[in-house]
Amino acid sequence: MYNDKLRDFIKSAFEKKLIEAVMAPAPTKDSYTYALITRKEDVDKLTPIAPVMQWNGADMLRRITRLKKSGRKLLAILRPCETRTFKELVKFNQINPDNITILSYDCPGTVHAREFKNEKISEEELIEKMKKNEISEKVRDSCNVCEYPTPIKGVGDIGFGIIGVEEPVFFSLSDNGKEFLKNMGIEEGERDDTKWIEIHRNNREKWLKEERIKGGTKGIEDFLSSCLNCHNCKDACPICFCKECFFEDHSVFDYESDKYFRWADEKSGIRLPTDKTLFHLGRLIHMGTSCIGCGLCQQACPMDIPLYRLFGIVGNDLQKLFDYKPGVNDDIPPVMDFREEELQDFEGLPEEGD
Amino acid sequence: MNEEKEKEFEPVIVGFFCNWCTSAAADMAGTARLHYPPSIRPIRVMCSSTVDPVYLIRALQEGADATILGGCHPGDCHYINGNYKARRRVAIVKTVLKSLGFDDERILLEWISGSEGPKFARVMNEYTELIKKKGPSDFKYIDSLGGD
Ligand code: SF4
Ligand code: SF4
Ligand code: FES
Repeated sequence: MYNDKLRDFIKSAFEKKLIEAVMAPAPTKDSYTYALITRKEDVDKLTPIAPVMQWNGADMLRRITRLKKSGRKLLAILRPCETRTFKELVKFNQINPDNITILSYDCPGTVHAREFKNEKISEEELIEKMKKNEISEKVRDSCNVCEYPTPIKGVGDIGFGIIGVEEPVFFSLSDNGKEFLKNMGIEEGERDDTKWIEIHRNNREKWLKEERIKGGTKGIEDFLSSCLNCHNCKDACPICFCKECFFEDHSVFDYESDKYFRWADEKSGIRLPTDKTLFHLGRLIHMGTSCIGCGLCQQACPMDIPLYRLFGIVGNDLQKLFDYKPGVNDDIPPVMDFREEELQDFEGLPEEGD
Repeated sequence: MNEEKEKEFEPVIVGFFCNWCTSAAADMAGTARLHYPPSIRPIRVMCSSTVDPVYLIRALQEGADATILGGCHPGDCHYINGNYKARRRVAIVKTVLKSLGFDDERILLEWISGSEGPKFARVMNEYTELIKKKGPSDFKYIDSLGGD
């Protein structure tokens, strides 16, 4: 029903010539992909609200606009986390937002892509639970502790409200969205999403307290012990957008054999490769301040390492340090900015007795 | 800790020193015959902002017991604001370390101008003392078979 509503919305937007293209999920045999369509006749192939998030949709928009802004009026249907990713990537000049309208919705969460492959579940099932303010036990860890599971004012253009109303409502998130809905002849509606947010934030608080990886060397080594160093987590991460990654340029970690032998002497033996843990710490240092919390790193891990515990919790510490919330407002990402007066605690020798 | 034990452990401290300030201060300390410990292994960089913080932890993993990033005082960076960016990066890497239960005091950020030879010597001595007290870093045992 909700997907029907959205498909009708899209068809009518085509008819009214408000859009010339749509990007939204579409089913494949065992999953859901993103699809780009340009004709009204193709709208029925779309599943705007899908139970699986195979990729981050903002990453797809990055690909489309990488060389040039969108040449057609494009409507993109994104989950709240993807909409925040979109905003964050615009700040990093990775997406040109011109000509793009974003519609986002009250999100019931998504199922791990592999679990979905093994056991199909419909989006309606997840939505029915959400309407009772219950998070399905089948959704991914990151969805369970999502800080912003609903559309945010100023992030994206149009909201689609499902919670707490019999009939879904549309509402605007930006001026562009307001204009769009007016031209659609849709009256803006209201709904109350506080409870849904509260449930997630309570989960999140508990998770932040309990799931931290502690203990320095031993803690992180144990956590990553089965890591294959495949870098899938990085490839799936929408914030890791660099064309040339520090950790893929292997010359940074090229050493002469003597060095390896000396380390083996000094460290009672070494594990090879030697850059595995450093890769993750380096990624945290480079992008942790902007980790959006989509959890796609964890979904991409072939070894089922609960990576979101690492990126989400350390990312949260980093974001607290700069009072920064990626993708929720217009603040400049911490790695692109500085203040003359700040962070003095990080300068100089520790005080005596500390 | 007794003196003998402190003698046993000679820490290795890698210093990334800005060409325009801390490196000059090191030279000045040298010419003035101000003593600073052999534990310091200086690397000259063109600005504190040229050091990706990953290099700080890479030095720690390769075997350093601590690292120092030495730059120009706020307002004095040769490239106008490189040191402010470096400070953010150091804050980030220290926060990551602390968050995971590592000792974040094994990374030190110091502003030492070219004329501060005595400050250079003092900081190097005090930091070496601190690291001696702490003992060897366990960060170097990441991806090794050693350590506790
Ligand atoms: S680190 Fe993981 S959770 Fe954070 S933005 Fe990247 S893929 Fe998403
Ligand atoms: S996806 Fe998993 S196995 Fe691959 S590098 Fe990341 S943590 Fe390691
Ligand atoms: S030139 Fe010395 S810190 Fe930038």
